[in-house]
Amino acid sequence: MKILIVAERRDGELRRVTAEIAAKAKAFGDTEVVEVTGTDRYHPVAHANAVVARAKSSGADVVLTGATLNGRDLAARVAAKLGWAYAADCTDASVKDGAFQVKRPMYAGKVRATLRVPTPAVLSIRPGAWTLPAGTEAVKPAAIAADASAEKLKFARFEPTATSGKRVSLSEARVIVSGGRGLKGPENWKMLEDLADALGAATGASRAVTDAGWRPNEEQVGQTGKTVTPDLYIALGISGAIQHLAGMTSSKVIVAVNKDPDADIFKIADYGVVGDLFEFLPAFTEAVKKTKAGA
Amino acid sequence: MAASDVKFLVCLKQVPDSTVRVKVAADGKSIATDGITWSISPYDEYAIELALEHKDGDPSTTVSVVTVGPARSRDALRQALAMGCDDATLVIADDKAGGLDVAKAIAAIVKEAKPDLVLCGKQASDDDQGLVGPALAEALGWPHVGMLTKIAAAGDGVELWREIEGGHEVWSSTLAVVGLVHKSAKEPRYPSLPGIMKAKKKEIPEKDLAALGVTPGAPRAEVIAMEPPPQRGGGKILKADGDVKALAVELARLLHEEAKVL
Ligand SMILES: Cc1cc2nc3c(=O)[nH]c(=O)nc-3n(C[C@H](O)[C@H](O)[C@H](O)COP(=O)(O)OP(=O)(O)OC[C@H]3O[C@@H](n4cnc5c(N)ncnc54)[C@H](O)[C@@H]3O)c2cc1C
Ligand SMILES: Nc1ncnc2c1ncn2[C@@H]1O[C@H](COP(=O)(O)O)[C@@H](O)[C@H]1O
Repeated sequence: MKILIVAERRDGELRRVTAEIAAKAKAFGDTEVVEVTGTDRYHPVAHANAVVARAKSSGADVVLTGATLNGRDLAARVAAKLGWAYAADCTDASVKDGAFQVKRPMYAGKVRATLRVPTPAVLSIRPGAWTLPAGTEAVKPAAIAADASAEKLKFARFEPTATSGKRVSLSEARVIVSGGRGLKGPENWKMLEDLADALGAATGASRAVTDAGWRPNEEQVGQTGKTVTPDLYIALGISGAIQHLAGMTSSKVIVAVNKDPDADIFKIADYGVVGDLFEFLPAFTEAVKKTKAGA
Repeated sequence: MAASDVKFLVCLKQVPDSTVRVKVAADGKSIATDGITWSISPYDEYAIELALEHKDGDPSTTVSVVTVGPARSRDALRQALAMGCDDATLVIADDKAGGLDVAKAIAAIVKEAKPDLVLCGKQASDDDQGLVGPALAEALGWPHVGMLTKIAAAGDGVELWREIEGGHEVWSSTLAVVGLVHKSAKEPRYPSLPGIMKAKKKEIPEKDLAALGVTPGAPRAEVIAMEPPPQRGGGKILKADGDVKALAVELARLLHEEAKVL
């Protein structure tokens, strides 16, 4: 089996998911890691062209990308261009009888499916699905050049979100503090951010909150937002609608704070605090700081 | 974008409604569909809304919808018409058609209807693949832009807003282009009463895959097993009996010593 892995960078550094895939995929056969260069940004057509050309010339049986925003986009176009079988956002993959067997969420995360994917195939692998063994050698991708100069689609400019800071990325965060309509308004997010800072966490939100414009869209967790699987997910003033749960129910440990003892979020929480979040939050942030300082 | 007479085609898929508690069927590899409510996939609803917002601003706009699926998908098309879309096409197909086949079928429709912009959802909320949009663009030789949240006319082309970490990339494109919609500025509208009446009277032409030159057969991933996510519950519920501070300390202790996540 020949495996072509497409690397991805964030702020100049290779993304962790690239290393995770490179380490794991050795078990499937011969791996080659490439990185698309030659454009300032990910370009859906030019990058797909470059990867397809390499897949053909190297005789690859499978192309792997990280299931990141760009990785998923690229993988889909590459699969279409090659006419290969395709599975997005795999949480595991192995080779069985010459085909891939993968696990991936379906129905907006409400079920976990096992699929047989015949080769040749294109798969995107969810960040964090494969843990990186300690002492793994750094990946050194080979550059393949993309050319977007003749493309009709051109990057024009970047418009940053006003409220976005330097915080950890939501999809890759190990700890997430999410707020719902129970926070009453955007002015109360300072409280939530204080806790997130104490925990080194990313901040998330329910759709009620992003729809109201209290927080940017990119923070939305759930069926029509991000699917997250952190070690710790703290839901503050979130009722636990099925569409919210679809995005976070696979978190390792779930903490919920809600004043309504019958809130659905308590049905899936490992630790539930029934009470007013405005009273609880500052005390909890203090307690976290002390615990961290002592630990 | 041409100042007027812009033609949108929105591709939509009928899926279990987002409120459905999905259960695995007896065969262990599909979901139980008895008595479930079907709806337009959520991102496709946003795509319809984006197109209709354009039509609100410029009534010369036409918004067509198409779906490839079983006969029940007609209801989803009817819903889209009731929201304000102009016409709908149903391509009858069973579940042997995979993403690449669906893309080919829609490509054939696009060649007839000649829309300026084709919108898809960023992923359908049943298979969660996100394949059909890029595959359609590929079949047509058009570019695509994912994570689309806004479209605006610019010169004789369009500007497309793509949501990424920390903000939006703005891409400019000539027409035609495929957009994979993530959000619309407003929540998808509900059908109006006159909309519903009008939709009832509209004819929805039916085509079949073979007539569009598509024979399902592209290599594809096949589900061999399905399981519900692990059951959760039986968590510890803590109540503040006046002493919030003690409760906060207790939770921090539990997270540190018991759950070991702090
Ligand atoms: C197609 C579709 C897709 C959707 N996708 C998503 C999605 O991706 N993500 C998502 O989140 N939602 C999604 N939704 C919306 C979802 O159905 C809910 O409406 C939404 O999650 C509710 O957000 P919330 O929990 O913040 O608000 P609410 O349901 O209003 O809950 C607020 C909670 O705060 C509690 N509260 C209030 N005051 C306090 C206080 N002082 N202290 C403690 N607790 C307090 C209340 O008891 C209540 O439980 C979707 C809906 C549809 C139809
Ligand atoms: N059977 C279908 N008929 C029409 N459009 C579809 C169909 N399947 C997928 N699409 C479109 O492609 C998007 C992505 O679907 P998917 O690749 O299945 O995740 C959907 O949001 C729809 O816009």
